[in-house]
Amino acid sequence: MTSSLPGFLFAIPFFAAVVIPVVGFTNQKFCRPIALGTLVSLSIVSVMGLSEVVSHGPLSHEFGGWAPPIGIEWVVDGLSGLLMVAISIVSLISLVHAGPLVEKELPGRVIPFYSLSLLLVAALGGMVLTGDLFNLFVFLEIGSLASYVLVGVAGGRSLHSAFCYLILGTIGASLYLLGVGYFYAETGTLNMADLAQRLPEVIDSRAVLTGLLFIVLGLAIKMGLFPLHGWLPDAYTYAPNSCTPLLASVVTKVPLYAFVRIAFWVFGMTTVSTQIPILVVLGWVGAVAAIAGAYLAIWQESFKRMLAYSSVSSMGLFMLAFSLGTETGFAGGLFYVLADTLMKATLFGVAGAAFYQCGASTVTDLVRLRQNMPWVSAALLISALSMVGIPPTAGFFGKWHLVVGALEAEKYFAVAAILVSSMLTALYFFRMFQRVWAEPLPLVEAHVLETPFPIKMSLGVLTFGLIALGLGSDLVMGLIFESAIPKGF
Amino acid sequence: MADIVLYRPHFVAFIILFLLGIYIMVVSLNLVKKLIGMYLMQTSIILFFITLAVKKDSTIPIILSSATAVTPEAYANPLPHVLMLTAIVVGVSTLGVSLAMVIALYRQYNTLEEDQILGKMK
Amino acid sequence: MIRPHDSVIVHTLARVFIPIIQLFALYVLIHGHDSPGGGFQAGTLFAASFILPVIAFGIQGSLTVLERRAIILGGIGILLFAGIGLIPLLLGEEFLNYGELPIPGMEASARRHLGILGIEIGVTIAVAATAVSIYYSLRERGEGEGN
Repeated sequence: MTSSLPGFLFAIPFFAAVVIPVVGFTNQKFCRPIALGTLVSLSIVSVMGLSEVVSHGPLSHEFGGWAPPIGIEWVVDGLSGLLMVAISIVSLISLVHAGPLVEKELPGRVIPFYSLSLLLVAALGGMVLTGDLFNLFVFLEIGSLASYVLVGVAGGRSLHSAFCYLILGTIGASLYLLGVGYFYAETGTLNMADLAQRLPEVIDSRAVLTGLLFIVLGLAIKMGLFPLHGWLPDAYTYAPNSCTPLLASVVTKVPLYAFVRIAFWVFGMTTVSTQIPILVVLGWVGAVAAIAGAYLAIWQESFKRMLAYSSVSSMGLFMLAFSLGTETGFAGGLFYVLADTLMKATLFGVAGAAFYQCGASTVTDLVRLRQNMPWVSAALLISALSMVGIPPTAGFFGKWHLVVGALEAEKYFAVAAILVSSMLTALYFFRMFQRVWAEPLPLVEAHVLETPFPIKMSLGVLTFGLIALGLGSDLVMGLIFESAIPKGF
Repeated sequence: MADIVLYRPHFVAFIILFLLGIYIMVVSLNLVKKLIGMYLMQTSIILFFITLAVKKDSTIPIILSSATAVTPEAYANPLPHVLMLTAIVVGVSTLGVSLAMVIALYRQYNTLEEDQILGKMK
Repeated sequence: MIRPHDSVIVHTLARVFIPIIQLFALYVLIHGHDSPGGGFQAGTLFAASFILPVIAFGIQGSLTVLERRAIILGGIGILLFAGIGLIPLLLGEEFLNYGELPIPGMEASARRHLGILGIEIGVTIAVAATAVSIYYSLRERGEGEGN
């Protein structure tokens, strides 16, 4: 059904991203209200889109009036609508959280920060909603450029990590483009739906196989799948604390969505598990990633670096979930992705709050949370319990559905990987609990600032969201089963 | 193997440039040389796309008069060219951002060699 | 600090070439519909015509007022492009559908031609402003991180 809603989903953040530098030259104070207002309206429009999709079916929008497959088509269906809602709401909360931090960390760079964050949100939305492979590449690069600059905008130690991220990210995007070129050479189309129709005839050709391999490699670099995650720990650790909640929660999940879309909607479930058994390989890679990431996180002293390796481990769990090949596994993986956006935003938000109030950066420094920060401590407790997987938080339900899906598919190595990585996650998070709550306070009481209201509100909303998502997991799983599962299971 | 070099030399050129770009990126210690390798790699992919658009005895894809009938085989394929215009713009913006980062790195560490920067960071 | 170039050949030829480059950029922009060219190419040519005086005559030879305002011009160019694309969306048709622009007395293909010309002008302004601001920010006294 044609609708202009996807067009608005692109236009709202894009226009704001372009208007902010023009308006901000007159008065810097206008940036933040414009940015927050834009994200509020984007969240409202995306929720409207999701409710429309659930009741009436997928929405499509043809750019320029040209019908697909000649023109570019944007499709809001269950999966992309759900992810769009998650992206807009989590980015709104992250930008609210970043308010006090921007003034402290990036004193002269307020305009670039808000403009680039909105451009990043526009690009992520574009990647999620598009139905055209080359359009996905364009938005992938726009979003990546915005995130390279956001990682390095503070200067200092972060410049080198941003440069490494830039080089590796560009290699990834170029490999993706090469894969798209192979698909175009073999079938003559770039539209995902049209490609899905034309692929069965040419599925045995080596060009299609090579194209798929290049696309998977490129997207794996972008999403930080072990062992192609080299840029991730440095980028997350040294990026300014105003940017990390946004970067860590949504930026790696959208290439994962792109992979899921290409593997399950363009190729089809049976093709990628039997004819070109890429899912089997990725299942093993995900299992190794989950365990290795969790293992590496145990040895980190810096809190943000520990969370970065925890992200690597989570990405392995997502890949494992999507490669299981059952409906429960797929839905559980999608639910765990949604839960993880909330969890990572909360954890990196806690890191930012700790940095703002008492300059804490290592796990041992976090002991100062006991001094004057009840909200931040509560947020840390709930999100850490959710990462480990303790009911009634959202993380428990996500992992529960993952294990059930793995048992249904009779892939016992997946069950073992999930359980081992959960135990290792428990190990490093309980080590953190011990440092924060069981160690004595240091004798020298550092000056601890009051928690600013934006940080309190954003961490409170995120924590509430984690518990609400956990208690309402039946509703969300029902929604996923109804509208976000690909055919062919 | 020989027929690839004889009848499809453009693919061989693409492979050589791509691997050369990656080799330069991996081996050089100078940051600007890494950027040269990155841009060479992107240019090789652009070359690959453009060679997909060539047809024998084809002309530019512009309809000059609507009197004669239009046969698609007589015109070169314009779609890869248009895609690669976008890819070139993306590559140029990436290069701009990366050069700005290199300038900032130089102002901070006063060197452009990767090993010296890593040494100074410790 | 970029000093003026030593050679008198460079000075003379730069003085001759700068308006020729700008004229050629305008030609490429307007004829992008029928021959190779278009907005991005014209924008880079315009930027070249602004960078050439800096190389030839040193930093005083250029309009230094441009460096702070250049980003705003870039923003205005993108707003022109996206604005022309947004009008059909607000009228109920699709984004970037120039056939539905509200210009009376023209058929759809002529409206598309005009819409494409409009967005190419926007793209040229944006690209020229961005390239010039990148070049100006590479001077010694400039800011650290380019936007």
